[in-house]
Amino acid sequence: MLRIEHYSKTYPGGKKAVDDLTLHVRPGEIYGFIGHNGAGKTTTLRAVAGVMDFTEGTIAIDGHDIKKDPVGAKRVTAFLPDNPDLYEFMKGIDYLNFIADLYDIPADQRTADIGKYGDAFELTGSLGSPIGSYSHGMRQKLALISAFIRRPRLLILDEPFVGLDPSASHLMKGYLADLCRGGSAVFFSTHVLEVAEKLCHQIAIIKDGRLVKCGPTEALVGDSSLEDVFLELEGEK
Amino acid sequence: MKKFFALLKVSVQSMLLSSTNSRGNSRKKAATGVGAMVLIAFLGLYMSGFYSFMLMDVLAPIHMESLVFIFMGMGALVGGLMFTAFAVKGVVFGGRDNDLLLSMPVSTTALMASRVMAIYLENLLFSLFVLAPAGAVCAFMTQSGVGHSVLFWARLLLAVFALPLLDTALSVLLGALVAFLSAKVSRGALGQNIVMALYLAAVFWFSFNLNGMIEELAANAMGVKESLSWAAPMLWMADGIMGDWGRLLAFAACCIVPFALVVFGLGKVYRQAVTAFAARSARSDYKLSAQAASGQTKALLMKEARRFFGTPMYFWNSGLGLIMLLAAGVAALVMRDDLRMYLDLLEGVPVMPLAALVMGFCLSMTVIAAPSVSLEGKYLWILREAPVGESALIWIKTGFQLLLSVPCTVIAGVCLAIALGLSLPDGAAMLLAMLLFGLGHAAFGMLIGLTFPKLDAVNETVVVKQSLAVCLGMFVPMGALGMCALLYWLGGMVSGALALALPIALLAAWGAACALILLKKGPAMLRSL
Repeated sequence: MLRIEHYSKTYPGGKKAVDDLTLHVRPGEIYGFIGHNGAGKTTTLRAVAGVMDFTEGTIAIDGHDIKKDPVGAKRVTAFLPDNPDLYEFMKGIDYLNFIADLYDIPADQRTADIGKYGDAFELTGSLGSPIGSYSHGMRQKLALISAFIRRPRLLILDEPFVGLDPSASHLMKGYLADLCRGGSAVFFSTHVLEVAEKLCHQIAIIKDGRLVKCGPTEALVGDSSLEDVFLELEGEK
Repeated sequence: MKKFFALLKVSVQSMLLSSTNSRGNSRKKAATGVGAMVLIAFLGLYMSGFYSFMLMDVLAPIHMESLVFIFMGMGALVGGLMFTAFAVKGVVFGGRDNDLLLSMPVSTTALMASRVMAIYLENLLFSLFVLAPAGAVCAFMTQSGVGHSVLFWARLLLAVFALPLLDTALSVLLGALVAFLSAKVSRGALGQNIVMALYLAAVFWFSFNLNGMIEELAANAMGVKESLSWAAPMLWMADGIMGDWGRLLAFAACCIVPFALVVFGLGKVYRQAVTAFAARSARSDYKLSAQAASGQTKALLMKEARRFFGTPMYFWNSGLGLIMLLAAGVAALVMRDDLRMYLDLLEGVPVMPLAALVMGFCLSMTVIAAPSVSLEGKYLWILREAPVGESALIWIKTGFQLLLSVPCTVIAGVCLAIALGLSLPDGAAMLLAMLLFGLGHAAFGMLIGLTFPKLDAVNETVVVKQSLAVCLGMFVPMGALGMCALLYWLGGMVSGALALALPIALLAAWGAACALILLKKGPAMLRSL
């Protein structure tokens, strides 16, 4: 579903944010991406989503190269940044329709999906209000709904649990699993190692822009815990 | 006091950086900031110098120089109000750093004062650029020698510093009203739009009355001055500058007292005001019904329209030119007999180019595409992750300006052509020239918006009112109009047909060049933001 081959990102001035990263996410997988602050997680996720340009390597989503066929790749993707800023001059329902229009989602499908996810996240009643009046958590939920209604082949999430209440987090985990059961894949970054350990089929650990370990969660963690593995790799244990 | 100056430094730095683009190194940023300031200073000095000269030419021989300072003072007051009143909502009450600064051990009055001082400094620039040229003109043209003493300049300086205090106090009060309305009225944008419409109507009414007074000056200058008794502080300022220290001090008190009342009064309730203005709670009674689907292009155009009509700052600053264009066209048609009589008095002045210049001036003020990229700012990720190509995004933003400007141009052009009794070829040539100008203006605006983006602006006020892209997007097309006028004049020396052909050719070349550059370089420029 997602193939990252020898991806590198160098910032002006020569600093390498990510160095020669190769990583594959298969359909049906939830793939966790963990690392310290500044390790290169967000830089990688933004490059995968086609939001940020990169210097070396290739990234392909469902067979679409993000550089050669960005529109094709984005059509099957949904990306959620860590702090999603949404158009404050729009109402919640206008934003969802705007996204649905960009992704050519038919009217009946969008009505059904907005109702389903809106009710689940307890946001339907507020969809008629301007986004400017939403709390941080409500914005996060709206952004999540806007991602789910696309029925993406690949869902990219940057720190998705920040700002969500426990019940919304629980719901989201369920929907991520549903998505994967339908053959899609999820690639997300998180600092919540317990969640990553329980939720992910595969985990990659990145340090200073380089991939230091990746593989199936059980194999990676073994008899230890993800926290222990992570701290050991980071040289803090 | 130390804390106040630290806060003031932050406010001023933020204000100075507001006209710079968000990319490039600090030297480039400083250069663009200084460039924008120089541009505004030049225009202020030029316009004030020009009008002061015209007025002084009539008034100096009858020793009524003080009237120049009354009119220039009113101009500075109204201009400053227009410039800053709607910035107050963002700068004083809606800063993104409100939570941070309000959590610090600083008195709310000091915090409020530091932000109000940033507004004061903007008004001070306005006051300086308007009153200083009037002083210089007075010194050169006076026949009573009033402008030749050092004390005259000292009094003028005092007026320059005092006037913005009054301006700032009025701006803050109006800005607080706007912030209150946008928070408390369910359709906040509509409420703000109504306030802005009333305010602009008052400004235009005042300007028209001022014009009438200026026309009367030569015949009855003393009568005009006496009729301005309702603007007593301006009379005191003018008489003060001319030598009456008592009146100057009365004027200074008239400026300082309201300023102090606003700063200390609102300062005491600043925390409550900021909290109340920011409090917007979402309703929870929405019932989902069947949704309708539309295409990408319509969705993106609707998004631009929602932003434009739903952001009063954007609508009134960028759309005022179109309102003026339509108003000019309709007014010309309704009052065509008066207009023709007036034009008959201007013997030898070519009517069609004059009408085209008026239309072009209004269109120049319609800067919709130029700030649209910067207004994406923190929302840019939404468009970047969407399955839409960069060139489509660029043409939709450019097209949105054309969608509004083309119908207005056609309506105003037809109205003016009928009102002025232009022949069919002349009317068609004027309309063609203005449509080409509108096309070039939109494409140039988009190009300049991509070249000087301001993606890190603290609010839309900074982008719409102070960004370099908006300044250039407005004044460079005005320069192009000047070039057209020059070409018309040069062509007219050879033949009437050449006089028409040269400006149209220039506008066509300008539009084509901007569109071509946008086509070739635009997508890469957008991608690199």
